[in-house]
Amino acid sequence: MSSPEASQALFEQHVLPEIEVLLRVARSLTRNDADAEDLVQDTLLRAYRAIERFDGRHPRAWLLTILRNTHINRNRRRRPELLRDPDGTSRQLNELAAGDVTDAGVDAGFDAGIERALAELDEPFRSVVQLVDVEGLTYAEAAEVLGVPAGTVMSRLHRARGRIRDRLDRAGLAPRSHW
Amino acid sequence: MKKPWKSLFRSSAKRPMTCGEVGQWLQHYLDGELDDRRSERLAAHLEDCRRCGLEADTYTRIKHSLADHQPSVPADSLARLREFGARIARGDEPVER
Repeated sequence: MSSPEASQALFEQHVLPEIEVLLRVARSLTRNDADAEDLVQDTLLRAYRAIERFDGRHPRAWLLTILRNTHINRNRRRRPELLRDPDGTSRQLNELAAGDVTDAGVDAGFDAGIERALAELDEPFRSVVQLVDVEGLTYAEAAEVLGVPAGTVMSRLHRARGRIRDRLDRAGLAPRSHW
Repeated sequence: MKKPWKSLFRSSAKRPMTCGEVGQWLQHYLDGELDDRRSERLAAHLEDCRRCGLEADTYTRIKHSLADHQPSVPADSLARLREFGARIARGDEPVER
């Protein structure tokens, strides 16, 4: 299919339903609402230009790949130092989580313990938790955003939750680990 | 003639998991990523083992608590992007090819 009408129909079918997810992930990546909106706008334009080459399978994963690449390209233009920081995306998610904790204060209880434990996680574990458990992406979708295999996402996620669980244990917020 | 290895395989495939095995597979199970056979064996263990049941409860609470951390997106930003996308879909937005 090559007519503008066909491209527009594919765009409406595959891209429009994913805009909110794209904005959520963009906010995690940019930590700035205006930058996130610009990033999603660029992503939508790139997606439209590429829609004829899209095979129709896994549109969210396809769009997250475009989003990630667009984010990297924008940072290369605006912040060349990120070229030396291959894990810059993950680092930004890391800082986002730490900021959330500051905003939330240090209320006692399980949820506050979770926030502190999340903030204490090292990269790349924190970004995986942020994308999968907080934002609700699948392993495969998070893998597209982070540029790593889905198996790596899974192993990092499980280790991260184990560390959160241990942190809760030490804080007396969960039963002592059985294993 | 009896084949001991065959009965051993059958019993291994059907028996409940051990605590150590649950420790290895619990997160896959809670994420819905475990195959049916292992899921049945793990669920059978959780029915009888209080301490592994507590572990499952703890990890479930962790997952739910993290999901509750999802921040809301700015409604105005989302509305602008949806309108922008709709203009592209209608052919109203000039896009260089």
